[in-house]
Amino acid sequence: MFVTWMIGCLMLTSCSVDGGLLRDNHERHIDLIVKMNHGDYWSTLRMGAEVAAKEFNVNLRFLAPPNEDDIQGQINLVNESIQKHPDALLLAASDYMRLAQVTDRAANNNIPIISIDSEVGSARVKSYIGTDNYEAGQRAAERMIHLLGGRGKIAVMNFVQEARNANQREEGLLDYVARYPNVQILDIAYCQSSREMASAMTRDWLRDYPDLDGIITLNAEASIGVGRAVKEAGLGGMVKVIAFDSPQETLEMLQDGTLQALVVQNPFNNGYLAVQYAVELIEGRKIADRIDTGIKVIDLENMLWPENQKLLFPFVR
Amino acid sequence: MKYFNRIQFIIAFFFILITVVTVLIVSFMLYNKFSNTAEDTAELNMGQVVEQVKYNLEMYVKNLTSIFEVVEETIDRSSSFSNPILEEQLNSIMKTREDLISIAVFTRDGKRVVNIPKLAMRPNTLLQRQSWFYSALEDPEKLSVSSPHIQNLFKTQYKWAVSLSKQIAYQQNGMDSKGVLVVDMNFKTIDELSRQVVFGKRGYVYIIDSYGNIVYHPQQQLIYAGLKYEDLERVLTYSYGSYQDELNGEQRMITIKTVNPIGWKVIGVAYKDELLTTKSELSTFLLWFLIVVIIFVLLLAIFVSARISSPIQRLAKSVKMLGEGHLNTPIPVSGIYEVEELSRRYHVMLQQIRHLMDQIIVEQEAKRKSELDVLQAQINPHFLYNTLNSVIRLVEKGHSGEAVSAITSLSRFFRISLSKGKNFITVQEELEHVRHYLIIQTIRYKNKFHYTIEAEEQVLPCLTMKLILQPIVENAIVHGIEQMADMGMIRIIARVEAGHLLFEITDNGLGMSQGVLDRLLLHGVPNSQGSGVGVRNVNQRIQLHYGSEYGIQFESELEEGTTVRITLPLERSQEEGEA
Repeated sequence: MFVTWMIGCLMLTSCSVDGGLLRDNHERHIDLIVKMNHGDYWSTLRMGAEVAAKEFNVNLRFLAPPNEDDIQGQINLVNESIQKHPDALLLAASDYMRLAQVTDRAANNNIPIISIDSEVGSARVKSYIGTDNYEAGQRAAERMIHLLGGRGKIAVMNFVQEARNANQREEGLLDYVARYPNVQILDIAYCQSSREMASAMTRDWLRDYPDLDGIITLNAEASIGVGRAVKEAGLGGMVKVIAFDSPQETLEMLQDGTLQALVVQNPFNNGYLAVQYAVELIEGRKIADRIDTGIKVIDLENMLWPENQKLLFPFVR
Repeated sequence: MKYFNRIQFIIAFFFILITVVTVLIVSFMLYNKFSNTAEDTAELNMGQVVEQVKYNLEMYVKNLTSIFEVVEETIDRSSSFSNPILEEQLNSIMKTREDLISIAVFTRDGKRVVNIPKLAMRPNTLLQRQSWFYSALEDPEKLSVSSPHIQNLFKTQYKWAVSLSKQIAYQQNGMDSKGVLVVDMNFKTIDELSRQVVFGKRGYVYIIDSYGNIVYHPQQQLIYAGLKYEDLERVLTYSYGSYQDELNGEQRMITIKTVNPIGWKVIGVAYKDELLTTKSELSTFLLWFLIVVIIFVLLLAIFVSARISSPIQRLAKSVKMLGEGHLNTPIPVSGIYEVEELSRRYHVMLQQIRHLMDQIIVEQEAKRKSELDVLQAQINPHFLYNTLNSVIRLVEKGHSGEAVSAITSLSRFFRISLSKGKNFITVQEELEHVRHYLIIQTIRYKNKFHYTIEAEEQVLPCLTMKLILQPIVENAIVHGIEQMADMGMIRIIARVEAGHLLFEITDNGLGMSQGVLDRLLLHGVPNSQGSGVGVRNVNQRIQLHYGSEYGIQFESELEEGTTVRITLPLERSQEEGEA
């Protein structure tokens, strides 16, 4: 009786102690590898990830090649990360196929991998956290068809042929447009994420298709390039443009009427949720295969709504 | 159950119980005290930091307000906006502060009147829908301070700004007009200030306006996306103060201060377990302390209880052995004082017992021997032989009367001696017995002495041990009278004295020296011709049976005679009739 009582007392005390100790007993190491080390989108994603890292006691390493098309650079970064053996790896793959092998390698080294922003061609990935790209494509098409009143000729400016998110956006877009027989897609072009190329190709379109009613762009660089070309041609508002993402320049063009709407992802939330779920994964909890961080269609009307201001202007300058 | 009653167990149990309970209580009190102090300190610190943010905000608003007033005054003094001096003045005001974004005046329809710095307007500003514009028109007298928002008026970088606006009167082209003056201040300072504030690792501050809209929050996007939640309704019920809430199972401390006069609230959020690291450190320390104390006390208790109980157990074992009859078992005389003392007393007691037992053995032996002596005395062949010789002599001389009386007395003598095996007879019978003896002896000693026997009437039916007078009388005859030349005299008196029965046998014989007297009582001198029962035997029998206060006393003077007193308890006979 006495011994039981004593052990009881000890257990009680130790429990209350453990409750306090367990929460932040060790720091977790997570590597975040994205497509490039500049641009508002990636900076915002990084900011979100860092907020989560602080909240969940994570030592976060942010890694990125200088440019989005530097695929070998990104592969090297993943290899380097495998050497350091972090508790989890967050990867925004620049190339669906070429990053697959190195992803498998990381998985073979028992590093749990979550793909963010764009998927990668590996079955070893634990989860995908990011925009539902297929839906983003659909929403862009929906807004365009709404603006055109259900009939018209449009062109699509995609960015790269190999990237998974590019393909999914395009697919969503095409699937939606297919429901409208009076909407015709004149051309789909790939600007290789270069605004200059996008501008040049847009100029060609405007010359070649005088009856072009609208252009849908599928990433930030394409949006800037197309917007500039349309503005130069003095066709702002005449040729409707539904753009993607929200760098400063696209917002300016949205305000001056060159762009009619922006399909905006939530990079802050992408970064935050990626880290949060990585922590859950490290702690051994099961997480969903896909986590959709949501998209918004922003136009002149709602761009200054308080809840959208912080999304569109994440940095206080 | 036997185990739990052991002294060792009881001592150890209560020792540990008391110590552990005390330590627990003290720990609990210490823990509470320290954790309360830690909590108070944390709360105080937090309050100070939040107060600092609030103060900075107030200063910020105050500066803004004074700038606004300067601008307003400058415009008021100036006759017209086309006046280049006004523009110059406004430009110099702009230069006084780096974080001023712009100063502008709009008509009530939202048309631009003037703006500094001179930048082109953006299209589609929708400024009439912006809060700074309509609230200035709604309340013309009041200076309104907007929440931070994106300034989208002019063709420059989009910036987060806090706008101060008020309706003003101005002159344009010689006409009195009314419009809205707006001064935009960069929000960056506040943002940076608030971002720097941390409580523990994860604690933060956020700011809301008086309607509950978020002015600043480090995770604003998450809140808008519904991934984070702040209980703004509860916060809005407070102006100042702090409370604790729970979010996702974590205790948080919330401290709220209100910024005057704009009514923004600065809210500090801290995670309790982070702030109170001392608390968990303390509980770890106390836990270890408790474990160490318990182990220590356990060992101590075992040691102490063993030290106390083992001598007692040893003693108990010895006593048990003694109880079983091993009288020579040694008693341990070491250990704690009380047990030592107990052992010693016990030892003394044991010796006493041994002594008493030895004494009993000796006494029993003596008793048996004297009883045997008495038995022998009852039929003494010497006495019989001597007496019968005397009778023969009488018969030969023809003194047949005397012979008859001698034989009669002999017969009576033996009859009383035997008395049906009884050890106790009445005084009357005892006196009768001695009288017959004396009759026989007078015949034998040819009237060499006289004798008298006197007894008080009341003592006759009393009980006495039998055959006590005869040896004394025999002694008197043999040692006192036999060698005497004169006529001897023996006097026997039985009476009550001081509640006792007293026999007094007095002779006028030779008397005895002190040495002879001592020898008589201590060793006894059984004489060969006497009845054989010595004086010592008489004394022994009396003392063994009645106790040492009774017995025989001698008084003797050489050449004068001897007096023997026999003191016995006064006992009435139960069966007087039989006497």
